[in-house]
Amino acid sequence: MHFQEVSKVKQLRFVTNHQDHLIALLAALAITIHILESAFPSPLPGIKPGLSNVITLFAFLVYGWKTALQVSLLRVVIGSLLLGTFLSPGFLLSLSGAIFSLCSLMLMQWLFYVLKLYHYQPGAIGYAIVSSIAHMCGQFLVAWYFFIPHPGLFKLLPLFITFAVLLGIVSGIITQSLINQQNLYTKNTHNVS
Amino acid sequence: MYKNIFNITDIIIILLATFFSIWLYNLFWFDHSWNNNTSSGKADFLMVQFANNSAQHYPLHKDIKINIEGSMGESIIEIKQGRARFIHSPCRNQFCVLHGWLKHNNDITACLPNRISISLHSKNQLQHSQFDALSGSQ
Repeated sequence: MHFQEVSKVKQLRFVTNHQDHLIALLAALAITIHILESAFPSPLPGIKPGLSNVITLFAFLVYGWKTALQVSLLRVVIGSLLLGTFLSPGFLLSLSGAIFSLCSLMLMQWLFYVLKLYHYQPGAIGYAIVSSIAHMCGQFLVAWYFFIPHPGLFKLLPLFITFAVLLGIVSGIITQSLINQQNLYTKNTHNVS
Repeated sequence: MYKNIFNITDIIIILLATFFSIWLYNLFWFDHSWNNNTSSGKADFLMVQFANNSAQHYPLHKDIKINIEGSMGESIIEIKQGRARFIHSPCRNQFCVLHGWLKHNNDITACLPNRISISLHSKNQLQHSQFDALSGSQ
């Protein structure tokens, strides 16, 4: 997004380009999924079907880390504003989890790039599992430092990590099917967008 | 169809993640060595508190029975072989008695109608903060 001088009278117009539209589209999808997910009952507070992670992962794998960062932060902030949990403990946990998961994704991609293991790169499922485990661990660290300093908190950690692995596999399968389908679509229609 | 979705690295990562979670279960549910840096989860004394009064401390190496007067009546707490439990309490649901033995560091039980709580602590544990937990509206 940038400002553009329109005429000699020096008017400024707000101009958006293709990447902004992409980020807005993906962020809108992620926020919708986040809000619909909050209607599901969950066995423990903090275990959600992490389906909005599908959008972040898709943006990271197909469009790059800058797009994924903007989509993820927009989803967390606007989702919490719409649900009414802005700046509450739930919002801080969600934000810390999103930042940890994105950092873990970038670390994993950089690791496979630096070690020159191009042939053995993991698909979306590997990234999804690592991202959801990092999300859970980030939330636990923030909860331990700021909200519940009692060491009894860590008895919950194995249970949460189990759910994180299982739901990470589910969202990884969904993301990989999306990516396969997208490749099919652009191949058939020869659409260069 | 499933060949397009799973990679060999994906399967390795799934196996590593399951081993990681099993190791975490062993560490936090059965081993208890994370609870205290020095003494592998052992507790030194029992802290008994009634309502907002000052807490009473009892060492765990002596086998004794303690009678504590609460709001509803008298609770009997037993210390035996380094463990502690409620034996008798005048409450209706008996959650405190049904909790059983308190064995590890930072274990805690309370009789809420009687307003009595018991917890195990260790001597060299620094109190990190004044509060147990903080929460806000979700």
